[in-house]
Amino acid sequence: MSAQPRFKIKVRNLFFSYGENVVLKDLTVDIPDRAITAVVGPSGRGKSTLLTLFNRLWEDIPTARMLGSVQIHLNGSHRDIYHRSCSLSDLRRSVGMVFQTPNPLPMSIYKNICFPLKLAGKSDRKQMMPAVETALRQACLWEEVKNRLREDARSLSGGQQQRLCMARALVLKPEVLLLDEPTSSLDAAATEIIEQLILSLRETCTIVMVSHDMAQVERVADRGLELSDGRVVLK
Amino acid sequence: MRTERLVQRLLGLAAGCSVAVTLLIFGFMVILGLPLATGGTFFRMFTSAWLPHQGVYGIAPMVAGTLSIASLAVVFSVPVSLGCAALISVLGSGPLPALLHRLVRFMTGIPTVVYGFAGIFLLVPLVREWAGRGSGMCILSAALLLGVLIAPTMILFFSDSFASVPRTYLEAAEALGATPVQKLLHVVIPCSWRGLTSGVVLALGRAVGDTLIALMIAGNATAMPGSVLEPARTLTAHIALVVAADFDSLEFRTLFACGIILYLCTTVMVIFTRRIGAAWEQQRW
Repeated sequence: MSAQPRFKIKVRNLFFSYGENVVLKDLTVDIPDRAITAVVGPSGRGKSTLLTLFNRLWEDIPTARMLGSVQIHLNGSHRDIYHRSCSLSDLRRSVGMVFQTPNPLPMSIYKNICFPLKLAGKSDRKQMMPAVETALRQACLWEEVKNRLREDARSLSGGQQQRLCMARALVLKPEVLLLDEPTSSLDAAATEIIEQLILSLRETCTIVMVSHDMAQVERVADRGLELSDGRVVLK
Repeated sequence: MRTERLVQRLLGLAAGCSVAVTLLIFGFMVILGLPLATGGTFFRMFTSAWLPHQGVYGIAPMVAGTLSIASLAVVFSVPVSLGCAALISVLGSGPLPALLHRLVRFMTGIPTVVYGFAGIFLLVPLVREWAGRGSGMCILSAALLLGVLIAPTMILFFSDSFASVPRTYLEAAEALGATPVQKLLHVVIPCSWRGLTSGVVLALGRAVGDTLIALMIAGNATAMPGSVLEPARTLTAHIALVVAADFDSLEFRTLFACGIILYLCTTVMVIFTRRIGAAWEQQRW
């Protein structure tokens, strides 16, 4: 195992636009490894867009255009994630994402967590259960759902659903975790649990989160990036 | 408020009318077919052959013809339609999906007789050569062509139900590294079972109800078909052929039995779709 790099993600001279609307201009930023970086700023300044640049989720949007480079340290070396040799599926397995509103799939809790493993071609049933348990424990959900793994995931509360989505992202052991306002649809109690969870994950992966809530950023983040006029202001 | 009630009544009246017409048609067929039942020939009709010169008016070969042609057509058409719908809603990129969608819509508007005509000139000779016997007018030819005819119905139904899969499910799968094919197999198809079954049953209904293709292509023999390379006559084609020649005889009366069978077929299929859809919705996962 090679030494951990200081910076996990390196963004260089990045321009991004939706049609005529330029969202990011000549953005250059480094995201530190094993730390929680919060992206803040007013709505519509490209915070969520910045996250989707790290797992290439923006590519299906027909009018979106990008220039510049994004390098992520994966499997021991920095790689240009937009290079032809970089497999999209592998990238997304190493760079997990959790969305603003919880999006469990319409299947059981167990199957939701198994789903990424199945996509990755891991179909050994004996290894499934331990992996599911580990991921659910990591997401602080195991105790609440261990007796109802076969129930529909949509029957969980909002906060539980969001932790389920975290567990689903964690089951693939990602190196980077992208969180797009993960608590914005949750109440105070659920938010606190998720914040604790985020802090506990700092040891295992690099976290980039978007947040509107400055108090939350101060509680959780190691570093804040503010997007202003398409560029970054360090906090 | 008054217009509200007026509109409600008008719509109620319209709904009542359509129900009444449907029931009246059924009653009409039962009453006019009654002489068959009293004559004691009703049940024998379903098991015996069509030998009008001997006074035997069995419709068993027509029932067999209808079932084999319609089910074969669906068997041919489902994989093609599924692939086409997947290309339109999930797998295709660039201008292809939109183009395909427009083409399929256009196909629904082509008159059936044009398909039949093209089939006689293009498909029948091919089947004749391939089979090496007969005229080429057989169950296989009719089923292939009927498969093409019912495909647009299925494709539009399938692609609509694919498109109604919530965007958040697709996004979740994409963010977890699903390839387009995995997205189709693990998310889109499981989420659209209801639409898929409805599409298949509707297409089957169309295949059972279609008259012209069978009439032009299937050969219209009244003998019980022994293989897919033999000619056959469907219930609908039978009605069309007998009506053209006759209007008041026992032979003519058997048509009401054909009508009742077609009617019941459709009813059973509609009920089946509803039940299956509801059951799947409850215990899909």
